[in-house]
Amino acid sequence: MSAQLAFLAFFGAAALWFAVVVFRTHSMVRSALALLFSQTAVGAMFLVMQAEFLGVLQIMMMATEMSVMAIFMVMFMMDPGGLGAMEMTHQKKRSLWAGGLALIAALGVSWLGNWGPVATQLALPARQTELLGIELLGRSMLIFESAGLTILTAMIAATMVAITPLEDEPKKERHHGH
Amino acid sequence: MVIELLLALGIGAGLFGVGLYGALSQTNLVMIMMGVELMLAAALVNLVAFWRYLHPEAMSGQMFVLIVMTVMAVEMAVGFGVAIARFRSRGSVEMEEARELKG
Repeated sequence: MSAQLAFLAFFGAAALWFAVVVFRTHSMVRSALALLFSQTAVGAMFLVMQAEFLGVLQIMMMATEMSVMAIFMVMFMMDPGGLGAMEMTHQKKRSLWAGGLALIAALGVSWLGNWGPVATQLALPARQTELLGIELLGRSMLIFESAGLTILTAMIAATMVAITPLEDEPKKERHHGH
Repeated sequence: MVIELLLALGIGAGLFGVGLYGALSQTNLVMIMMGVELMLAAALVNLVAFWRYLHPEAMSGQMFVLIVMTVMAVEMAVGFGVAIARFRSRGSVEMEEARELKG
């Protein structure tokens, strides 16, 4: 068994284990942290698969994203610590079936598919990053710029949705007054 | 070498199954978003595995990974925007209480 296979199996098992923990713990902060560990394990899998830039990017992005998520959890939840052991699920059996069927279908496709010859040669990390930069600012520039514009639009849209419109405030009060 | 590809695809399938279960079974908006994040992470694992083991010379594979990461960030931003709006107007982000959205 090669070292790459062993590390891939280890980090893959960690990613799956923490993904299951996300929905099994009652504490919302714990589930946000479990999701962070799961995503970090996915980033470590990228490093094992020699996609170093993407691996580091995934770990850095998810560390920030999940910390924000944990803060939102504490803000929004009635019981963020999970001390009351509240039931937070619905249609559990049907969801389990859907998840199980999706798993079996994806496994079936991946194991029965004919993937052809597997590549063994790979560019060095520095060369890979260089090639990715040329790809981003060359052939895929339009897609890359569109992604940047989409993020900007989403940021503005999310802020606009989140702030309370000032003109609605008196209306609401008048409504309550009657 | 093909066993590494199959292992990575299997882990991707597992993450997708767990994410789908979470997105369908949870009643809280933020927990549903966590399920969606897991499904997108499964897509990322598959894309990196395809790039590494099938076409390491084509950098458009890594480009695709960057686009999926963008989708993850956008999903988080819009999801939290909606969560804040919902929390302000109704005081909760429980989806069981959002039945009036049903057409």
